Amino acid sequence: MTNLMVIKQLYMAAFADFRRDKVRTGLTSLGITIGVLSVVLLIALGLGLKNYISQQFENMGANLIMIMPGSGFSSGTMGAGMIGSGMVEFDEKDARDLQKIPNLKYVVPLFFKSTVISSADAEKIGYIMAANEDLFPLLNVQAEYGEIWGKTEINKKSKVAVIGAIMAEDLFENPSDAIGKTVRVEGVRLKIIGVGKKIGDPEQDKALFIPYTTAYGSINPNKTFWSIYLGVPSKDMVPGVSEAAKEILLKRYDKDKFNVSEQSEILSTVDQIFGIINIVLIAIGSISLLVGGIGIMNIMYATVTERTREVGIRRAIGATKRDILLQFLSESTLLSVFGGLIGLLLATGIVLLVRIWFPVALNVVAVIVAIGVSSAIGIFFGVSPAKKAANLSPIDAIRYE
Amino acid sequence: MKKTPSIISLSNISKEYVMGDESVFSALSEVNLEIHKGEYSAIVGPSGSGKSTLMHIIGLLDKPTRGKVIINGHDTARLDDDQTSKVRNQFVGFVFQQFNLLNKLTIKENVLLPVTYSREKLDFDPEKRALGLLEKFGILSKKDSYPNKISGGQQQRVAIARALIMNPQLILADEPTGNLDTKTGNEILKLFEDLNKEGITVLLVTHESDIAARTNRQIKVLDGKIVEKYND
Repeated sequence: MTNLMVIKQLYMAAFADFRRDKVRTGLTSLGITIGVLSVVLLIALGLGLKNYISQQFENMGANLIMIMPGSGFSSGTMGAGMIGSGMVEFDEKDARDLQKIPNLKYVVPLFFKSTVISSADAEKIGYIMAANEDLFPLLNVQAEYGEIWGKTEINKKSKVAVIGAIMAEDLFENPSDAIGKTVRVEGVRLKIIGVGKKIGDPEQDKALFIPYTTAYGSINPNKTFWSIYLGVPSKDMVPGVSEAAKEILLKRYDKDKFNVSEQSEILSTVDQIFGIINIVLIAIGSISLLVGGIGIMNIMYATVTERTREVGIRRAIGATKRDILLQFLSESTLLSVFGGLIGLLLATGIVLLVRIWFPVALNVVAVIVAIGVSSAIGIFFGVSPAKKAANLSPIDAIRYE
Repeated sequence: MKKTPSIISLSNISKEYVMGDESVFSALSEVNLEIHKGEYSAIVGPSGSGKSTLMHIIGLLDKPTRGKVIINGHDTARLDDDQTSKVRNQFVGFVFQQFNLLNKLTIKENVLLPVTYSREKLDFDPEKRALGLLEKFGILSKKDSYPNKISGGQQQRVAIARALIMNPQLILADEPTGNLDTKTGNEILKLFEDLNKEGITVLLVTHESDIAARTNRQIKVLDGKIVEKYND
């Protein structure tokens, strides 16, 4: 008989055994099922979290370059305290110079200040964000009521403003009432032409968005900008544009006085963090796989003892030690792979279900690892019992009652 | 009886077991025995005489403590596990008192089981041969039944068919009628006699001298020694 036929026969015999004792087979495989299920689900959860966070960053502008004062990304949080503290303050010339970089979608110079905003009946602390019209796509601001301003308002230095949703509620109770009303900021009267949709960012929801030209005067007397954002059409153009921006700014500022950072840098940090979280999750899931493997070993030992006589009979009619070893190994592997496949199936079902609410993901690696690991467990934990069977003395085995 | 070449030759075989209290129990001592091709013989002796141990050593199920087992002129002491298994698979066919069939396999699968362990190309169609043997023993209709569904006599016929499937030179039968009533036992013995007439060497192990008397040669074993030889 060829080896292939022998192996086929072994697996068929193992299947026949499993059919005969469905309860035991099910319970033994259950350990591996739970192990694989937990590993796959935890990986899916980790990937889902990562996707979710990445998505959030990408919503902020996937192909975005931020130019800020200071020497590092961590040193600059959006705060009014930064201004006038001896840091670089960008101006319109910087924005114009940067505009010359090819492959740019937009350049948004942003003036940012925390200040008191007052209506006829109320006063609130909020934020002034003065920029050009590309600010709205940059920050994902859309008008809930009214409209947003554009180039015309910038050119005319129109005294108009789009108000953040929470600020509108605070000053006018009913946000839709804000349209057409006037607010006062630093002695300037601004007409509200639009109310932004609430986006959950406290700074944006409490901001007053105005044309940067309008801010020149009492709001922004020095005509400076706190940061400049560059929008790029696609992700792969980010590094080139970022380099070009650095070159342009180096002509006016020292290297350590400004900082050009990319969203992708933040994303790679997020990737790293989730890489570690994933490893921890897999390690936790692996504990249940280990327990499942020990369960298989336990049952295989019991099986070998139960079938000692069978081993003796098989040895008497010509089975080699290797034949017996393979017989029991194929059983433990089958048990384990069977459990693993059920676990994978369940995990897939759960992932598809959870996907409705949360972006969990199943990846090919998780699937391959699940099947690979469960067969490896079957072999690893099956070797010891199978060896015990193979090394039984034929004559003792055949006499075993 | 006409002398034919010996297929089994035991020289100075001893088998000793170390007991729990470290005393040594001698199951066989200094046994010399030749089994010739075509013989129909019986190893006979009371229980505990060492006759089963002798049979296990002849069938390479057990190893002697001292002495040589020569099969067809080859010393078996140097054989590794694979080669020993091959001898058990091809040269000898075992028949046991307890039948020792696998209950989870059908009758036909039981008969074909030794074929599973043969690594060589066979010069016969195993399936055809299995069915032929079952027909010859009158149990063809049971080929798809399971061993626990048929009678003891039928089970022993299946065991004999299994022992014959690989075309062995020697059948070793350990108390083959021990679990059967007299009538069925006689039928099984008749079967062995017929097989012997076809040229197969048959060696029975029994404690019943009337069964041994039906064979051509009785090898009497007592306290681990062959005490008398007949027909030699």
